[in-house]
Amino acid sequence: MKPVKIAMMGMTHGHTRKYYQTLIENKKLDWVASCAQDEEAKRVYELYETGVPCYLDPDEMYRKHPDIEAVVIASANDRHFEQMKWCAEKGIHILSMKIPTFDMNEYDEMIEMCDKARIVCQIELEMHYNSVVRRLEKLIKNGAIGKIKSVQATNITLSPVWAFPWQGDPKASFGSVVPLKRGDPRFRGGALCDHPHIFDLIRHLTGSDFDYIFAEVAPNLRDGLKVEDMLMAVGKMKDGTAFLFDPSWSRLEEKLKVPGPGWERFPKRMEVNVTITGDKGMISCDCFGPNVYHNGAPNDRYTVQYTYFDEWVGLIDEFVDCIRNHKTPLINLRWHKQTILAMLGCYESIQTGKIAKVN
Amino acid sequence: MNLKRMNKGLDFLRGKYGAKKGEITIKDGHCYVGATPLLPGRMERKIVELKKMTENGTLEGVSTLRFAAFSPKGADLEAMLAKELDLAAYLGASDIVRVMAVANGNAINVLAKLANDVNVSVEIGAGLPKGEFGYDRHEIIAKRGVACDQTVDTHTPHSSIRCWGANGTDDYTDVDTELFGLTYEEIWNVRAAFALLQGRASAKIWKAAWAKAAKAAALAFESDRKKAAKAIAVKQGLNTNEAIKTSEVR
Repeated sequence: MKPVKIAMMGMTHGHTRKYYQTLIENKKLDWVASCAQDEEAKRVYELYETGVPCYLDPDEMYRKHPDIEAVVIASANDRHFEQMKWCAEKGIHILSMKIPTFDMNEYDEMIEMCDKARIVCQIELEMHYNSVVRRLEKLIKNGAIGKIKSVQATNITLSPVWAFPWQGDPKASFGSVVPLKRGDPRFRGGALCDHPHIFDLIRHLTGSDFDYIFAEVAPNLRDGLKVEDMLMAVGKMKDGTAFLFDPSWSRLEEKLKVPGPGWERFPKRMEVNVTITGDKGMISCDCFGPNVYHNGAPNDRYTVQYTYFDEWVGLIDEFVDCIRNHKTPLINLRWHKQTILAMLGCYESIQTGKIAKVN
Repeated sequence: MNLKRMNKGLDFLRGKYGAKKGEITIKDGHCYVGATPLLPGRMERKIVELKKMTENGTLEGVSTLRFAAFSPKGADLEAMLAKELDLAAYLGASDIVRVMAVANGNAINVLAKLANDVNVSVEIGAGLPKGEFGYDRHEIIAKRGVACDQTVDTHTPHSSIRCWGANGTDDYTDVDTELFGLTYEEIWNVRAAFALLQGRASAKIWKAAWAKAAKAAALAFESDRKKAAKAIAVKQGLNTNEAIKTSEVR
C-alpha cells in the first residue's frame, strides 16, 4: 500500500504531540510537513524534534508539498471550519479534533463540503481504539449483563488551559461568546467542550440516541477562568437507558506551558470510568488503568504513570484504511452530530434550568 | 500459550512495521526465536515504564528492589525465579553477585545482592488454585521516590474491568490493542520476538542475560539446600542490563 502523505495543521490542540510517534513510525504514512498557527506553536512543536518541517502559512506548506493527501487538523475549535474548507477545496482528507464545531450551520456546511469533495473526514474520538473499551463493547455485545438499564461515566481530567490557552477562551473553544446562564459571569467553552467521549460511547454501547438531558454547573475550582470547569449531567436515551455523566476538569494541575512530568497535582491526570447496570448483571470499568505508580521527580508526589494506552495507533490505522479503501470512518461527521447536539443540550439545560430535548 | 495465535500476531506486527522473518517456538515452557530465549518480562509495558523511571531521573539512588510472583499449583518455581532475577538485574542495572534462599514445598523466598550493592528480595509461590491467573509485584525503593506496578493500598493487582454477569464474575485487563485477544503472557512473548526480529533487542544479550538468570535461580535453590549464600562471579564485558528500545509500544 502506498503510504499516505500526511501533514498536521494548527499545532495548538492538546492532542497534537500524541500524534508525533504514530505519524513517524506507521509505515502506511509519510509525514511530510506541519503548519503551526503562530510562532509560539512552532516553538513548542520544535521542542519535540520530529525532523518534519514546520511552516506558518498553510499555502506555503502546500506549495512546497503539493502531494499532501491528508491533514490532521490539530487546532482550536474556532479554526476548524476554515481549515476544513481549505482542505476540502484541495481534496485533502481530514482527521479532525473531537469538536468539529458547535455551530450547527457550520457543522452542516462541513458535511456538505466533505461530501462534495469526496474526502474522508474522521473525527478523533480515540477512546474507540482503547483496548479496555474494546473489551467493554465486546462484553456488552455478547450480552454479558443483558439489556443496559443505566450508565454512569466520568471523563475527568486536569485542565489544559495553561498549556493550551484557547481552551479557556469562550470564542476559541465554543466558537462564540455565550454566557452560561443569567447572573453567571462564566461562558460556554470549558470542561464540557473537552470531553465528548462519554456522550459518544453511550450511543455505541446502547445503540440508542439521546432523548433528553439535564445539566448543572458547580462553582469553578480555578479562579479567573472564564469558562466552566465543573459540571454534571443526567438524562435518558431513547431506549430508556438512564445516565449520569461527569465531564469535569476536577483534577487540579500545575500551570505548565508545555505538558510534561509533574503536570498533575492529583495522582491521576485523566480518568474515564464507566459503570453499567444491565438487567442480568453489572460492569465496572476503568478505561485507563491499571498503571505504574511513583512518587519521584519532579514533584515527589504520588503519580500515575500511564502505561498501556496506545489509542492513536488504531485511530491512524483506521484513517489510512478509510482513505486507501474508500471507507467511511466509524466516527464521521454525520454520526458525530448527535453527540455534539447532546453537548449543546447540556449548555441549553444549564441556561434554562430545565431538561433539554436532544434532537 | 497458543503458538499459532502468537505467530499470527507476530506476522501482523512484522507486516505493519517491518522486521526480519522468524517464528516463536516453545521448549520446556519457555519461548524462543531460533536459539534465542525470549525475555518477555523485559517487554512488559509496566517493566518498560519502571526501567524508564530508573534512567530518566524520576527515581534517584536506587537502594532496594522488592519483587514477588505467584502462580497456580504446579508452576515451575525455578523458571519463575529466573524471570524475576533477570528483571532484578535489568531494573537494578547490575548483575546478581550473591543469592541466599529459603524454600519449602511450593514456595521460595530469596534475598539477593547486585554488584552495585542494591538489595533484592523475591517472594515466589505456586499455591494459587489451578485455573487462576497468577500475579506479580515489582517495587523499586530509591533515595528519591518509590515506584511500583501496584497502586498504594492494594496487595493484589486490580483489573480494568470487572463484570458481574449472568454466569458469574470475571475480570479483564487488556493491555495491547494491536494484539487484542492474546493472553498477557502471549502478548509479551510476541512483543519480545518482534523486538528481536527488528533488531531492537540483541540475541547475544538475551542469551547471556537468560543464562545468568537461570544460573542465579539454580544457585538460589542450592543455597537453600546448603543453608549458605552462594556467590556469583561477574564477568566483565557485555552489559546485559541496558534498556531495550520499545518505541512501537506506547
